[in-house]
Amino acid sequence: MSQDRLSPAHGVDTVALDWALRMTDPVSADWDAFTEWLEADPGHAERYDRAAATLMEAEEALSAQPEVPVPVAIAPEPVRRHPLRWVGGAMAAALIGAIGVTAWQDRPQPYVVETAAGETRRIPLSDGSSVTLAGLSRVELDHAEPRRAVLARGEALFQVRHDAQHPFAVQAGRLALVDLGTVFDVRMGGQTRVAVAEGAVMVDPKGAALRLDAGQAVTVDGDRLIQSAVEPQEVGGWREGRLAFDGVPLGVVAEDVSRFLARPVTVAPAIAARPFRGTIDLEAVRRDPAVLGPLMDVRVRRAATGWMLEPRE
Amino acid sequence: MPPTGLEAIFLANRDKLVRFLAARGAGDAAEDLVQDLWLKVAVRMDGPIANPLAYLYRAADMLMIDRYRARRQEELREQDWVEGEGPEPPPGAERAVAARQTAEQVAATLAGLGERPAAVFRRVRVDGIPQRQVAAELGVSISTVESDLRMAAHALAALKERIE
Repeated sequence: MSQDRLSPAHGVDTVALDWALRMTDPVSADWDAFTEWLEADPGHAERYDRAAATLMEAEEALSAQPEVPVPVAIAPEPVRRHPLRWVGGAMAAALIGAIGVTAWQDRPQPYVVETAAGETRRIPLSDGSSVTLAGLSRVELDHAEPRRAVLARGEALFQVRHDAQHPFAVQAGRLALVDLGTVFDVRMGGQTRVAVAEGAVMVDPKGAALRLDAGQAVTVDGDRLIQSAVEPQEVGGWREGRLAFDGVPLGVVAEDVSRFLARPVTVAPAIAARPFRGTIDLEAVRRDPAVLGPLMDVRVRRAATGWMLEPRE
Repeated sequence: MPPTGLEAIFLANRDKLVRFLAARGAGDAAEDLVQDLWLKVAVRMDGPIANPLAYLYRAADMLMIDRYRARRQEELREQDWVEGEGPEPPPGAERAVAARQTAEQVAATLAGLGERPAAVFRRVRVDGIPQRQVAAELGVSISTVESDLRMAAHALAALKERIE
């Protein structure tokens, strides 16, 4: 790289590029200031268009061919050549600035479904599959590509109509999943976990390519995938008001339970890592969070925003 | 029933959006475009939006970028025609090769800036992760993320100048 290519003398419009960067960032975008800059000179609009298009083309090129060294690999393999994510083209566009209307050539029609705490919602997809969202969750979908979904937050149960020609792909954070004919649950948060109820799922298809069959689950821990067993009938049990855990840290349990409550449950740091094994009846907790006390061997204290689980004296 | 949610925000800020679209290059067509904008946004909406006005502005902005890019494509096609390369787009395989070359050039340009700026650009611009979160991931300040992004943007713009 020679430095001279970066210099404004070579026609790089630094002012317009700065605006193009700023206006896609929700925090720094100031639309009034931007309007004023545009109005200051009729040539500004085209300069901005050019800068924005330049960035977009670069982003499209990158997302069509991702080359990031990937953080997640099955232990003990240290690094993988292939990227974890399939997010490219359309979905990457949808994510940029989290805005739904894009300039993509294949005319994606992204949309977002979000749930509030305590709410669950089933979203039928045009291919016959469905996504059921737990509370406090967010999924990004695209009418133009019904076989793809991005779980941006929370938890969702995917009931996929299998089509070997068009595998259903789910992206959850950095974790990519492809269905092999299936019902499976994905949770995000302190930990990302995938559990399969029926059929099978391919985790990280371009890298680890780990196959999960019914009754199997995987947890992402830093850059490792840790496999475990689950009761297939407990996968997505939250739809019937049950949450089953098998040695999951209390901090993660609290996060999961909170999705189904109007007020969040938090855990004192001293016991957040303590493993919990058991099944939680969400309806009972909704009626009285104090039931968590004997179940988890903790003290349940009413806090300013919700409920706090503390060590028993 | 009075309009609610996004529609109410749209109606309350319609004039501002028209003014924005006009300044954004739509000129007299801004009135028509604001209607197109609403139709697009209304159809694609599902679920709550954190900041509806910013969403509408961003959608309007994207609408204009979309139009610019379509216009550019058209110009490039005509230019090819005049230069005797014919109006036909290259066949799929060739186009894929060209796209891969572009991707490699873009990746090489970013890599040339160093590991962190390249990672910042990918995380923010391609993966769509908020700048604050990327800063936390990499253990740097927001202003470092901003300056990395700027450096990457300038390098990519310079690359484009060179290619075209």
